[in-house]
Parts: sequence; structure tokens; C-alpha cells
Amino acid sequence: MTQDGLSATGSLLAVAVGCAAASVWLLLPRGEGGLRERSSRRFGMLLGAVALSLFVATGHRLGGIGEEATFLVVSLVAVVGGVATIVTRSPVYSAIWFALALAGVAGVLLVLGAQFLGVATIIVYAGAILVMFLFVLMLAQPTGMASYDRVSNEPLLSAVAGAVLLGLLTLFIGRLAAGPATCCAVPSKATALAGGVAPPIAPLPPTDSTGGDPLATDHVARLGGELFGRHLLAVEAAGLLLLVALIGSIAMVSRTPAEEQSLPVARRAGP
Amino acid sequence: MFSLDPATLLVLVPALPLAGAILTVALGRLLGSKAHWPAVVSIAAAAAVAVTLLIGLGREVLGMVHDDHGSASAAPVESITTLWQWASVPDAYVPPADSPGIDLSAKAAGRPESLPFSIGIDLRLDPLTAVMLAVITCVGLLVAIYSIGYMHDDPGYPRFFALVAAFVFSMSMLVAASNFLLVYVFWEAVGACSYLLIGFWFRKPTAAAAAKKAFLVNRVGDFGLAVAVFLLWMTYGTLNFHDSLTSPVPGILGAERLADASGYVAGAVGTAICLLLLLAACGKSAQLPLHVWLPDAMEGPTPASALIHAATMVTAGVYLVARCAPLYVACPEALTVVSIVGATTAFVAALIGTVQNDLKRVLAYSTISQLGFMFASLGTGTLLGFTAAIFHLVTHAFFKALLFLGAGSVMHSMGGVIDMRRFGGLRSVMPITAATFLVGSLALAGVAPFAGFFSKDEILASLHARGWPDAHAEHHGSATHDSQAHLDLDASAGKPLWLVSDSRGGAVREAISDTAAAGTYRTLYWMSLFTAFLTAFYTFRAVFMTFTGPVRVPDEAGHHAHESPPVMTWPLVILAVAATVSGWLLFSTHALSNFLAATPSLACPAVAATATPHAFHIDLAIQGTLAAAMGIVLAALGYLGRRSDGPLMDRFLGPLETLFAHRFYVDEVYTALIVRPLEILAMLAAAFDRYVIDGLVSAVAGIPLAAGAAIRRLQSGLVQRYAVFGAIGTLAIVLALAWTLRP
Amino acid sequence: MNPSPLVLDGLIVGAMLFAIGLVGILARRNLIVMFLSAELMLQGVSVSLVAWSRHHGDWGGHVLVIFVLTVAACEAAIALVIVLQAFARTGRLDVAAWQSLRESNLPRVGDRELPANDDTVMEFPRLTPAGVEPAIDEDELLQREHV
Repeated sequence: MTQDGLSATGSLLAVAVGCAAASVWLLLPRGEGGLRERSSRRFGMLLGAVALSLFVATGHRLGGIGEEATFLVVSLVAVVGGVATIVTRSPVYSAIWFALALAGVAGVLLVLGAQFLGVATIIVYAGAILVMFLFVLMLAQPTGMASYDRVSNEPLLSAVAGAVLLGLLTLFIGRLAAGPATCCAVPSKATALAGGVAPPIAPLPPTDSTGGDPLATDHVARLGGELFGRHLLAVEAAGLLLLVALIGSIAMVSRTPAEEQSLPVARRAGP
Repeated sequence: MFSLDPATLLVLVPALPLAGAILTVALGRLLGSKAHWPAVVSIAAAAAVAVTLLIGLGREVLGMVHDDHGSASAAPVESITTLWQWASVPDAYVPPADSPGIDLSAKAAGRPESLPFSIGIDLRLDPLTAVMLAVITCVGLLVAIYSIGYMHDDPGYPRFFALVAAFVFSMSMLVAASNFLLVYVFWEAVGACSYLLIGFWFRKPTAAAAAKKAFLVNRVGDFGLAVAVFLLWMTYGTLNFHDSLTSPVPGILGAERLADASGYVAGAVGTAICLLLLLAACGKSAQLPLHVWLPDAMEGPTPASALIHAATMVTAGVYLVARCAPLYVACPEALTVVSIVGATTAFVAALIGTVQNDLKRVLAYSTISQLGFMFASLGTGTLLGFTAAIFHLVTHAFFKALLFLGAGSVMHSMGGVIDMRRFGGLRSVMPITAATFLVGSLALAGVAPFAGFFSKDEILASLHARGWPDAHAEHHGSATHDSQAHLDLDASAGKPLWLVSDSRGGAVREAISDTAAAGTYRTLYWMSLFTAFLTAFYTFRAVFMTFTGPVRVPDEAGHHAHESPPVMTWPLVILAVAATVSGWLLFSTHALSNFLAATPSLACPAVAATATPHAFHIDLAIQGTLAAAMGIVLAALGYLGRRSDGPLMDRFLGPLETLFAHRFYVDEVYTALIVRPLEILAMLAAAFDRYVIDGLVSAVAGIPLAAGAAIRRLQSGLVQRYAVFGAIGTLAIVLALAWTLRP
Repeated sequence: MNPSPLVLDGLIVGAMLFAIGLVGILARRNLIVMFLSAELMLQGVSVSLVAWSRHHGDWGGHVLVIFVLTVAACEAAIALVIVLQAFARTGRLDVAAWQSLRESNLPRVGDRELPANDDTVMEFPRLTPAGVEPAIDEDELLQREHV
């Protein structure tokens, strides 16, 4: 990529990030109501579409058209679902949009070659966690539209913060793409020792016999071997964490505020 | 002659009351109702020592006088006891080349390059000190004994006796001190004791205000004394009275300078010193511009009034002027001022005294008036005048203490009521008090055999001698004394000039030039005579209102109005005896005047040259007695046997009564001229402090406050808002890093 | 070796998801939506991890994502309990209901007066409240008996 091309891409990306921020700001609930809200939503959607198109236009060309189209679709589903999750007024719709975003993420993971994780995300998130969310919403559903769902906290500042974050990340990722000379200004220790320019990010050699290429056909078997071989202790710890979370949530939910009020002071204060 | 060394005895006089005061303070609560013992015993011992000293010194001096066949000019007697060196600064002061006082007096020693500042705790013993010590301790003892009864059951009983003992200590030190700095220190100390005793019942607002007033008015006088001390140091290069080995300059009242005819600075500096000393004396002795505190001081306990505000402390001014007699004699203008102040004060205070209804206030104005007499006498600048003033001081101490204690006895019996219109006919209720009070009144009025007659006669004689010098010169013309005074009119000089040609033995010529000065003294003489008449009048007005007429007792006294206990009446009787016989004894033998003449200050040639032979001026005595008799008769006409609340004075005096009753509006004038402007100044200062200074401080404090107010709005309690700021902050840091590390 | 285009695109998608989640957690006041946003951020991280794993050709990213899933499940359990307790105390799912720790003289950040809702736009689903016996229509019951 030439210097001109990079700068052209960079300015396009900057415009895209700006449009995305404006779009999110317009879409976020700001308690306007009526025609004003509707028109700002429409304008926000339009801007969002522009931003997404720009992102797509500046995206990298993948190997095959099929892979490219698949990735484009799933990533669009993930991003649009995510935006819809955070801008929808109703928390129920938010949860449903989140499920859609999860589906997109699962697709992205599949395209990236993480079949097990894609499926696990669907199962764990959409199947378990999201259902739990919906149950909570049922338990804690206020009558009608809650006022706090119609307004946001500092929507402009939040959108700006998100845009800055996105811009920074895009910048860094763009530098990764541009090559080792521009990706990192700080010379690493290895570079200094070698006296030359070493690629700062080099693929690590496989360190375990059970490891290997994640794209291999026996993907899940290899992942299982990796997990229960090299990371066995972490798995046990995670299991313990789940147990603690289970006990903790039961302990917490079993004490409603009314009960707590009726408890004697000594017991409340004691361990 | 002395069983003990006189120096040791002299130290004992102030030391014993000091020990008594400390003991009372330390053991007061332990002793409870016996708290008077340390004070009474120590003052009694001090009195015994003081009387021993007086008798010893008196024998010595008078024996010497008799050896000289009755010469009035005894050799000066003094002995100095230096306890320790208080301060010593070498090369403290380089006198200017034309410094007259030092230059003149330091002829013998050669002009000093620089003078050390050395102050010792020096006590002196000379006739004047001995007399003062005896008076202070004796009156103090009687008052302390009287207070045992008077202050009985007072919650501040130990405090009172501690203060009385402390006062006796301070006053003894004041009259025994032998340098001006010590005089100043104990001048303040007696002022502090006076303040504490006036405000003894400090929960009473009037007492607290009176104490404050006394203290503040005394500050004016103390300022005069302080400046006078500075001037004395700058002029003479020493503050010692006596000649001291530690100072190359002879003492201000030391033998060397006294013998030197030109030892004292005249002119502006000398007059300034004298007038500043007079200001100090006016403050302490309640003379005219500064007399306002003494009547209010009657808010204190009556024994304290008797001791401090009648008998002893208020005479400190008289003592100071008498002590500094040579300084004054060198400045005739200052002397005239002293006389004018004294006589005017005597006159004005007597006028005010005629309309007072408060028994203690009558006595307070009478005290001011009598002190005025003393000052008038001092202002004559003659030996007769000085000795007469001290003579009157002694007799006055006795009879005024007697009158005050008598008034206290009446007050004690009347349940604290002191307004003469509310009681009367107490003669039958309290006979001892009545009799002793009558004796004191006769002495105060100046009736023939009593003490006041003789001392007042001497004062009038001293004034008369200055007013009609020719007559006196003729009168004593035939007398053949070495130090006879002649008058010479020096019309060409036009200014009064005391020419002292020779120190001793030769003819002393004094030139009192001015006929104007003589005229002044004539006026003062007539004024004093009229004051004597007024004195007799108001004294007997008080006597008649209190003790004659139908018996009337105020409700506060209850049904048990009775004579005071013996512990209170015995001091009265003793003082009555003293008031009766002291005058005649001291006058007939001339013991006091001869004795005092041996005081170095009064034995110096300039003063001794004015000595006149002792004489009983029958014409003056008749005038004085007539004035007193007229006053008594007038009082009898108005008040004898009448009810004591009759509206007599205002009918008689008309509008003048209002003027007198308001004390010539002096307090009001002071309020308008000094108090109000100062209050306004204070208000302005307070406003400045509150609004400008505090405003600045508040403004400075407002900066962090405003900053805090601006920043505290960020603490909204909303976690989400914090998260927004946190995210933005973090991103800003990352942005900055990315910018810094850009390729 | 530069990352492959696929890895870069994956990273971009992960970054976008992360940023969207950040905006959501910063802006939305509903506790549940905030929580969903946090999950969205986790998803973004997961995508990035997998992309890097692909780049390096090892299992580290995958394993880490599995642990992320585990932790997310625990987190969801605990957090939802907390949300429920918070709701039980205030009757709201509003994060702004918890602002007692503000500066004492500041006014409470309350809901400002909102303009009226446009009902035609704001179609709002209602879920059957859990744990509450549904109100049964008598007529319907009778008709069912007849059938």
C-alpha cells in the first residue's frame, strides 16, 4: 500500500468512525419523543449505514469471494445486532438483539476457524445466559415503559469515547497491516540484540504435542487435549469458580431486603 | 541603739508582708475563716519593725539636732541597702556633649565617655521613708484587724487579706526604693493592688467598671512617670537616688549632687521632668484632671478604701513630689503649677463634697480635697511647705482612715446601705462609732486640739509665707538664724531665679522675684481658706445627717442594727486617739519637721535655705479656726437634729447644686472627649477588622472554596458518570501516548 | 509476518464490538442493558482472541475464550442476583437510582420531565410476569368448560 493509499484509507476510516459516533449518538435514547425522536433515529440509521459501508469499503480483501461474503454477512449481523442492543429502548428487545449479535459473533468465530467456540457461544450465551436475562426481566419488569429506558447517561460523551476507542484500535490494527516498520515504534529487546529488524509479532512454535494447527480436522479433540492437558489446573479453578458463583448467588438471593430488615442487628452485623 | 542592723530591719518591713501575702495565697483555703492570721501577724511584725526603725532614726536625727542647738538644717541622714543587682548594662548610654545634667554633676569624676545602666534592688532609709513606712504599716495593721470583723463571712476572705498584705509590701517598697525604676515598678504594683481591691467584688458590675476606670485613669499618670524616668535617664545618666559605686554619675538625690548648687537642670527639660512627675502624682493622688477614679473606687470594700484610697496609696504622689523636691525647687514654674493644681483640686473637690449623699463618696471627695491641700503645700517649694505636706499626710492618714473605718462600721451595721438620706440618728445605736467618727470629723475640719488643725495650719502658713513674703520677712526679721530667707526683688531679670550662693553657713539669698507669683499664692491661700470652711461644712453635714436627729434605720439592716464588734471598734478607738494627739505632739515638739529636714532631698541647700523658724502663727490659726467654725455652724443650722433626707442643699445652692452633684460634669466631658472618640475609633477598627481584614482572609479562603465548589459538582454519586470520565481519561492518556510514540 | 487479512478483519470486528459495548455500558441506564453491553464487550474480546490465535496458529486464544465463557456465566449469575436485589430495594432497574454517595448539596439527578411517548412508534412487548398467578378470564374459563 502506498503512502497515499494509506492516508486515503486513514481518512476514510476517520470519516467512518466519526459517522459511527454520530450515528450511535443519534440512535441512543435521549428522551426526546415524538417526531424529533423518530427523525433522529432515521438519520442515525442512515449515518450508521454510511459508516458501515465505509468500513466495508476499507476492509481487507479476503482470499475467496465465498469466505469474504460470509465474513461480511456475519460481521454485519454481529455489529448491527450490537448497536441495536444498546440503542433499543426496551430491554426485552435489547436482549433479543443481543441474541442476534451473538449469532453474528458465532459466525465470525466459525469463519475464523473456531468451530467449537462458535457453537459454545450459541449454546452458553444464547441458550443459558440470555434466557437467564429474560427471566430476570420478567421478575423485575416495571409496568409500562420505564423512564430510565428513554434517556441515556451522557450520550454524547459516551459516543465520543466509543469513537475514540474505535479510532485508536483501528489505527493500531491498520499499523499492524502496514508492516513491522510502522507497527511498533519501540524496538524490542530482541531487535536490539539482533542488531536488525525482527518481526515484532512472530508465530510462536507449537509448544505442546497435543497442540497444533487449530484449523486441523480434529479440531475439537485437539482443543480438548489442550484444555485438559496443559490447562487442567485452570479448568479445575474455573469449575471451582462456577461452584462459588452458584453458592454465592443462592446465598445472596435467599436474603430479600424485607428479611434483612427484620433480622436482629447482631446477626446482621455478625459474620 | 538597734538590736538589729538597721539594714536588715529595713528589708524586713516589705519582706514580712510579702511572706504574709504568699502564705495567705498558699494556705488561704486551708485556713478558711482564720485566713487573716498570716497577713495580720506579718503586717503587725512589719509595723513593729517600722516603728523601731522610726524611733531609732528619730533619736539619732533629733539628738543631732539638739546637739546643734535646735538648728533646723540637720545633716542629711540616709543609709542604702542593696539587696542585689537587678540589671547591669555596660556602655548603655553615651551622653551628648552638651548634656547639662551629667556634665555639671560629673565634674569631679571627669566626663564619662559612656554610662553603664545599672539598677539594683536598692532600699533606702531616711527620715521621709521611715515616716512613710511607719504610717503605712501602722494604718495597714489597724485596717487589717478591722477587716477581720468587716470582711467576716465574705467568700473572698483569704483573697482580701492576701491583697492587703501584698499592698503593704508594694507600698513599703515604693517608699523605700532608692531608684526611679524601682519606684516605677512598685508604683505599678500598688496600682495593681488598688485595681484588684476596687474590683474585689468583681461580680458587681459597678465594682468591675470602677476598677477598670481606676486602672485606666492611672495609666495616664503612669505614662507621665514612665516618660519622666526616661527623661531623667537621658538628662542625668542615672536613675539612682543615691550616690552609687556602680555608676560614675552621682545619684539624682545623692549627697554630691545635692551639695552642688548647679546640680539640677532647670529650663525646659527640668520643667518637663517636674510636670511629668506631677502628672504621675496627679494620677495616683487623684488630683484635678485625673481625680475621677477615686470616688468610683469606693465600690471596693471599705477597709480597702480606708487603707489604699484614703490613707496610703493616694499619698504616693505627695511622697514622690516631696522626694523629688530638689528637682522642683530648680524649676519654680513647676512648683507654681503644683500649688495651683493642688489648691484648685482641694477647692473643687470640697464643692462637690458638699452635695454628695453617699457617706463614702463624701469622704472620697474629702480625700481628694485634702490631697489637694498637700499638693498646694508642696508647691510652695519651701521647707515649711514640704514638711507641712508630710505632716498633713501623716495626720490625714490617721483621721481619714478613722473616718473611713467609721463609715464602714455604719455601712456594716446598716446592711450595706451607705446613702446618708436613708438613715439618721445613729448616735444612740452605735455610740463608739459615733464618738470616734466625731473625733475624725473634728480633726478633718481642723478644730483646735485635733490633728488636722495643726497640719492644716502649717499648710496655710506655708501658702501665706509665699503670698505675703514681706510680712513674713518682717515677722521673722528679728530672728537670727543662719539660713534665714530674704526676699529680693529682681525686677531686671523678670524671671524667678533661685540663687544659691553657698551651701552652708553663709547667707543664702533667695530671689523670689515675681509679684505675680506672690499674687498667685495669695489667691491660693484664700482659696484654701475657703476650702477649709467647705471642709468643715461637708464633714459636719455628714456627721449630722448620719448621727443626729430621729433614729432611722433602712430596711436592709433588719432589726438588729447594732454597734460593730470589738475587733472593728478597737481600731477606731486607736485611730481616734492618734487623730487627737498626733497633731499636737508632732507640732509642739517640731519633732516631725526637724526629723524630715534631715531627709537628703529636703536637707539640700536649695531647700534648707528656705527654712523658717518654727512659729505658731496666731493670726493664721484664728483664720483657720474661724473658717472651720463657720462651716460647722452652717452645717449645724442646716442639718443638726433634722431628718437627714431634707432637700436642703438644692434650695440653698440652686443651679449650682446640679453642677456640684454632677461633679462639674468632668466625667461627662471625659466621656464626650475621650471615651466616645475612642469607642468610635474602636468601632471603626472593629469594622475594618471584620470587613477588610476578615474580608481578605475570607477572599483567600474563598479561592479553594470556589475551586472545591466547581469540582464538587463532579461528585454526582452516579457510577455511570464516573465511568464516562474514567473512560475518557484513559483514552486521553492512550491518545497522548500514541501521539508521543508515533513513528 | 504480517497478520493475514482475515485476522485483521476479525480484529476490526472485535474492536467494533468492544467499542459498541463500551458505549452501551456508559450510556444506558438500565442495569440489564448495561449488563448486555458488558457481555458485548466480552464478545469483542473473544473475537480478537480467536483472531490472534489464528494468527499464531496455537490454542491459547481458544482456551482463553473458554475461560471467558466460564467467567461470563459466573458473572451473569452473580450480577443478576445483585440486579434483582437492587430492583427489590428501589423498584427500578435504574443505575441512577443509586446515587446516595454524591456531594451532599448537589441535587439528585432525577428523571427530567420527558415528552409524551409516541405510542405508534413505541410498540412495547409485555412478558408474562413470572411468579405471579395470571388473571384468568372467567368467560374464557366457562367457554372452555363448555368445550
